[in-house]
Amino acid sequence: MKFLRTWAYCISLFWGTLTVVGQQKAPTVINSLDSLKSKEKPPLSLRFGVDLFRPILSQVNKEYQGFEAVADFRIKKNLYVAAEAGNEEVTKQVEQVNFTTKGTYYKIGFDLNMFENWEGMDNQVLLGLRLASSSHNQFLNSYTLLDRSPFWQEPGSITSSGFATGERSNLNAFWLEVIAGFKVEVVNNIYLGLSLRLNRLISDTVPDNFDNIHIPGFNKKTEDNKFGASFNYTLTYNIPFKFK
Amino acid sequence: MNSLTFKIVLVLICLGIFSQCEKDDICISSVAGNPDMVILMLDQETGLRSLPSGFLIRPLGTAKQLPNSSSDSLALPLKLTESVTQFEFITNSGNVNENIDTLQINYLRKDQFINGACGYRANFILDQTPLSILNSGNNWIKGAVIIKDTISDEISAHLGILH
Repeated sequence: MKFLRTWAYCISLFWGTLTVVGQQKAPTVINSLDSLKSKEKPPLSLRFGVDLFRPILSQVNKEYQGFEAVADFRIKKNLYVAAEAGNEEVTKQVEQVNFTTKGTYYKIGFDLNMFENWEGMDNQVLLGLRLASSSHNQFLNSYTLLDRSPFWQEPGSITSSGFATGERSNLNAFWLEVIAGFKVEVVNNIYLGLSLRLNRLISDTVPDNFDNIHIPGFNKKTEDNKFGASFNYTLTYNIPFKFK
Repeated sequence: MNSLTFKIVLVLICLGIFSQCEKDDICISSVAGNPDMVILMLDQETGLRSLPSGFLIRPLGTAKQLPNSSSDSLALPLKLTESVTQFEFITNSGNVNENIDTLQINYLRKDQFINGACGYRANFILDQTPLSILNSGNNWIKGAVIIKDTISDEISAHLGILH
């Protein structure tokens, strides 16, 4: 229910941007009369790089190891085919349960640039969509049984071997991501970018007698809502292609 | 920065804020924990539920007492770290003809996932011979019948004790 309202709020903001686009149409018509720009072919370019946040987090947090590579390819003036691939190993203590999630993920989709650059600039304010999948496994390290009326034992004793502990392998998840972000050219052909992602889980293989509490690339999955969120902070290098 | 960019930055901030809004991981109190084994005292001849006079159950290996119950359906807590739990079943307690039988419940623990917030609860699966009578001679307990061999809740009885 909360997320329904979140979506309604976010979508209402998008509506706001649309009306502004409508109001700003007039000056761009005048600009396009400028004969210098309109005859140029859209510049094809391949940009690739890494996420900066995950390696830093891996250094700081012992329970996290992660890496993400990103790439995008410009196919039209304001349209990019974009992809991310990453690897993660996360150990988490969620209330009564301690587990390690390990796996890789791939995301592919489109980015649409909403930013009108001045001549010679190449910055982007991006809205994007991704189809993402992960293949991972979950290892249940330990847990505490829910003991409402302990009689024989002290409450809160931890089961760390046998019983339900152990590995659940060959798990998959599929989800959609809606992305908002920007990329700024800081040095010639070097870009810094930030993107925020709202994820909607489509399907996941539920591990035997456990759950995908964390999914690599998707992050935390709560029990009865299928939304997740993530972000990346990227450094990318652009290879421009010249067509004559 | 034109107002379109400004709007988009607003959307970014909005996404950022709501990405922090997650459902709290709270295990609600209506979720049941580890179940106790529910037994019925059954008359061996008629097969009907009947409670012998001066009946008492005393758990072995602890100074704790089971909560008093005058019902013929009783909940017995099972040990989590062992696969047997022993009880003394006493009839005519305090009388001259007091009779104490030492019973052992045999089972296997199997944990069941509830959800991320509550974690796991123990379930028990009763052995083929769920009940061993440890003392010899003059047993007033005659045996047991399995009503439900998987103990995952306390809604219905699991074991009938014949006397």
